[in-house]
Amino acid sequence: MTSGQRKTHKYIWLTLTICIPICIYLSVKNLSFSSKNTLELKSEITAKKILKTKQNEIVKVTTFKNSHSNSIEIILKTPIKNATAVAYLLNKNFTKGELIGQITTVGIYNFNIENEIEFGVVIYDALKETLITKLTF
Amino acid sequence: MSLGYRLVLWNKHKKTYDKIIVSGMLIYIVLFAVITLLFNSETSIETLIIRAFGSLAIIMLHIILAIGPLSRLNNHYLPILYNRRHLGVSMFIAAFIHGGFSSFQFHALGDTNPIYSIFTSNMEYHSLTNFPFQVLGFFALLILFTMASTSHDFFLENLTAKVWKRLHMLVYLAYALVILHVFLGAFQQETSLFTIGILSIGFITLASLHLITAFKEAKIDALSLAEKEGWLEVCTIDDIEEDRAKIFTVANERVAIFKYEGNLSAIHNVCKHQGGPLGEGKIIDGCITCPWHGYQYLPGNGQSPPPFTEKVATYELKLLGTTIYINPKASEEGTAIKPCKY
Repeated sequence: MTSGQRKTHKYIWLTLTICIPICIYLSVKNLSFSSKNTLELKSEITAKKILKTKQNEIVKVTTFKNSHSNSIEIILKTPIKNATAVAYLLNKNFTKGELIGQITTVGIYNFNIENEIEFGVVIYDALKETLITKLTF
Repeated sequence: MSLGYRLVLWNKHKKTYDKIIVSGMLIYIVLFAVITLLFNSETSIETLIIRAFGSLAIIMLHIILAIGPLSRLNNHYLPILYNRRHLGVSMFIAAFIHGGFSSFQFHALGDTNPIYSIFTSNMEYHSLTNFPFQVLGFFALLILFTMASTSHDFFLENLTAKVWKRLHMLVYLAYALVILHVFLGAFQQETSLFTIGILSIGFITLASLHLITAFKEAKIDALSLAEKEGWLEVCTIDDIEEDRAKIFTVANERVAIFKYEGNLSAIHNVCKHQGGPLGEGKIIDGCITCPWHGYQYLPGNGQSPPPFTEKVATYELKLLGTTIYINPKASEEGTAIKPCKY
């Protein structure tokens, strides 16, 4: 290397040595590493109370309530052929109400919701605007 | 050298080295897959590929960046330096598989252009904990692509060594982007002291190696030589081994003084190929041979033997008793200077 390149290398590494640890510190300082927090989180999860549960051949829906919020778990059991599937709460007329969220592949979906679920859940094909499945409580 | 180009200049050693690289990469991927599936059997194949190749690329990048300072500190690492380019291209392939799968998995399945999606799917640029870290990985991959695609000697010759070297020093920016990509990305979702610790140790090791080397080199640069009537006193004949050189800093540039067959010759220490330290090489078949990639120069005139065309600056030497003196004024590149007899 030429003397200029040697100096450039030195200044680059001096800069990296100062900047990277600062960035690393800032990026991890809000992360939780303690086991206490993990336990608290776990107990909070287990403290959730199951309110209602219902299933058919396509989905299983469970609603929960804890001290802070309401939540809903939607388990999609079999693949659906529709290009888009969006879950909504059923309103008192048993028609499409408040939006819950999108469902894609088979799996477990968890959503926080503002109010308790009273009437059920409906999954719609948002493009064709057709009903995929409906579960009433 | 620059006479002609072949896609890959393989020789027996390079083939062995490349086999080691490929086997190492395959072993790592298999081990990663087995361990992941043992501890988390629900991991999807896409996630497995993304994580395996991502972590492999980071490990390889650390190894690549350590080779330079290690060979400055210890000559035994020079053979690895000689083959570093293939390791760099292999690392880019691993990074590309990681980036390609991630882009496909997270950005290509919608109706938005995947590249546009990388920049706009998460707009929390103001937040460190929710920063759109994929953007950092995208830019790092872009730099690594530029480096891998210009790694061939054809580009080195046509871009000029100076521009090529500057371009390839972007690897340090890529490294910083990769570190931040990992810390602001995967570690935010799956907090693990172990993985954070491993990456931190990697960074500390690299930074220490580079800084130790830089300060060692700066110390050599700062050494001042005694002047006598415009000539600088460098050393005695016995200080230099036969067919080897001793390096001195003359007028802010490194000069290598070679001793061979009763002669002494001085040339600029920087190889025209990739800036390798010629003074750390030795004389093979009458030619000074660069320890990095084997480029050769004649000690008497600093020219590569025909038909090659590289040439470096030469310096006048004189001998008073057994003490060697050098004229600090460099001659034109390739100027023939009569060797100093002893």
